[in-house]
Amino acid sequence: MIPILPTTSVGSFPKPDYLKKARAQASKGEISEKKLREFEEKATREWIQFQEEIGIDILVDGEMYRGDMVTYFAETLKGFEISGLVRSYGNRYYRKPVVVDKVKRAKPMTIEWFQFAQSLTKKPVKGMLTGPYTIMDWSFNEYYPDRRELTLALAEAIHEEALDLEKAGAQFIQIDEPAVSVRPEELPLVIEAMGIATRGLRAKTITHICYGDFEKIYPGMLDIPVDQIDLEISNSTLNLLELFKKHPFTKEIGLGVVDVHSHALESKDVVKGRIEDALKVFRPEQIYVDPDCGLKTREVEEAKDKLRVIVEAAKEVRKELAQASRV
Amino acid sequence: MMNVTVVSHYPKIGDTPEEQVLRRSLAQFDRKEITAPELERVKDEVTRRVIEEQIEAGIEVVTDGQIRWDDPLTYLTRKIKGFRVTGLLRYFDTNTFYRQPICEGELSSPESLVVKDFQFAKGASSVPVKALLTGPYTLAKLAQDKHYGDLEKFALKLASILGEETKRLAQAGAKFVQFDEPALLNHKKELPLFKRIWEKLAFSFPQGIETILFLNFGDLEGLYPEVLTLPVTALGLDLAGKSENWKLLRRARFTKKLVAGIVDARNTKMESEEELREKLEELKDLVPGNNLSVSPNYGLEFLPRNAARKKLACLSKVVREFRGAKVKV
Repeated sequence: MIPILPTTSVGSFPKPDYLKKARAQASKGEISEKKLREFEEKATREWIQFQEEIGIDILVDGEMYRGDMVTYFAETLKGFEISGLVRSYGNRYYRKPVVVDKVKRAKPMTIEWFQFAQSLTKKPVKGMLTGPYTIMDWSFNEYYPDRRELTLALAEAIHEEALDLEKAGAQFIQIDEPAVSVRPEELPLVIEAMGIATRGLRAKTITHICYGDFEKIYPGMLDIPVDQIDLEISNSTLNLLELFKKHPFTKEIGLGVVDVHSHALESKDVVKGRIEDALKVFRPEQIYVDPDCGLKTREVEEAKDKLRVIVEAAKEVRKELAQASRV
Repeated sequence: MMNVTVVSHYPKIGDTPEEQVLRRSLAQFDRKEITAPELERVKDEVTRRVIEEQIEAGIEVVTDGQIRWDDPLTYLTRKIKGFRVTGLLRYFDTNTFYRQPICEGELSSPESLVVKDFQFAKGASSVPVKALLTGPYTLAKLAQDKHYGDLEKFALKLASILGEETKRLAQAGAKFVQFDEPALLNHKKELPLFKRIWEKLAFSFPQGIETILFLNFGDLEGLYPEVLTLPVTALGLDLAGKSENWKLLRRARFTKKLVAGIVDARNTKMESEEELREKLEELKDLVPGNNLSVSPNYGLEFLPRNAARKKLACLSKVVREFRGAKVKV
């Protein structure tokens, strides 16, 4: 049974040190892919166990086997090459994928890992995909004539994967589109592509959006064809709740209640306050409680602490809601 | 005769271990394994190398590659008194980030911002070096002001600081000074304000230097031909692919020098020589040869270093052939 104000995560968790080391070794050919996979499974097992222990309601596998949310899919889809390094900021670089041919899903990309994670728990595990618009926006395009055509081709590939996740038993499928808010004029393309990706799914569909300039895409973003939109609420400079008062938020909301970019741990009362503020704007059954974004940039212990606070705060608010309804 | 130039930054690292020395050194510096002067020497070395690479690729007016710059704001605003540099924000529609400066007091720059870098680059280059600054309007729009309480006041103060810097650059021998003002294209209605800021800035422009205003991250629809009245020698525009700017240039006569960004620095797809030649043909009819430079449409750091090198080499090859053909006729 999933309680009211279910707790969940946006997707990624930090990789434990032994896995980071193993990934570095594997990239230099010092350990085999099989050996690396053992470490990835061990880390996945640990994260599933941790989420169960603290009482998270909808689990994620933590993406122990993914480097980057776009590169992972680009490496697995047909039609991509991985480029040289480009800088993101400071001394941070990444390999930006390059589309050089027709994009196709050659094989399932996340199904085995979903099945593995789900086999470890009776609670639902979310299927986690990156959205077609974001994969397009974060890649070089040397093949398709324009951004739209590439996005729509990617949407078909993500759709096939989503169908397979559903077949494998996923009750929740999240398709992340963090790039959405960057070019508000392309929101119609995001909506069109998501329509393809989620076509005919019966599972609950979710999209996560961040780096918000939400003012420019709200309320238009409510037309993205998913059941739930997950937003970073705590790190937003904008008072989103004020925005939602003006124009009602018509979907379920994934409510980010802890800042993933900060080492500082929020107190239980701060997190409770954020949930209670949201309850002034949303009906309780609309709200899913989670961190602002993937936790992978935090240390393992920091991430665990943040998840614990979320669960404790949600439990207390639930209790208070139950008491209030009894009165 | 048309020449070939670049816009601003150049990839700081490449694929080979030698080309990654700056990345390694920055990490070592963070771990306190090397000293600040040692890190500076690495930045000097990489600057020298990227200038050589530009010259090898046939670029005729080079930049220092902004090897010392983290992003278009941080390098300058760390040196201007009155700013505090804070968290990361996305830079326009790119997948890169800048640190937002917050203005907390009266701004001043008792010391020069980029003169030393210009002198170093000039000493390392056999061709002219273009000095680079981020424009006062864009700095003001992307920063947060807690002191002046008014965008115009804030931007005018920045204009006076950058004006002083331009004078210092001219004294150091700079012939070309470029200001990047992408924020204008996202706030076109503020052109009158932009003009007032630029009139103040231009008041400090010394005789005999060429000032370039680079306007990318959008097109000039709604701003052209009014932008031609701005007090600069040259405008830099995005003319890669089928940019809207082409239509505008055909609509009204271009009366300044033009830096035409005809190579796409945001995508690894290589332009064909044919496509570039066609663009040069068309540009020749729009702007007299002496008033024309061609370049990529953005700084090159959005590309991997290999792709940047290839694109520059292709551009300068086409330009040279084009000039040769015209001379013969």
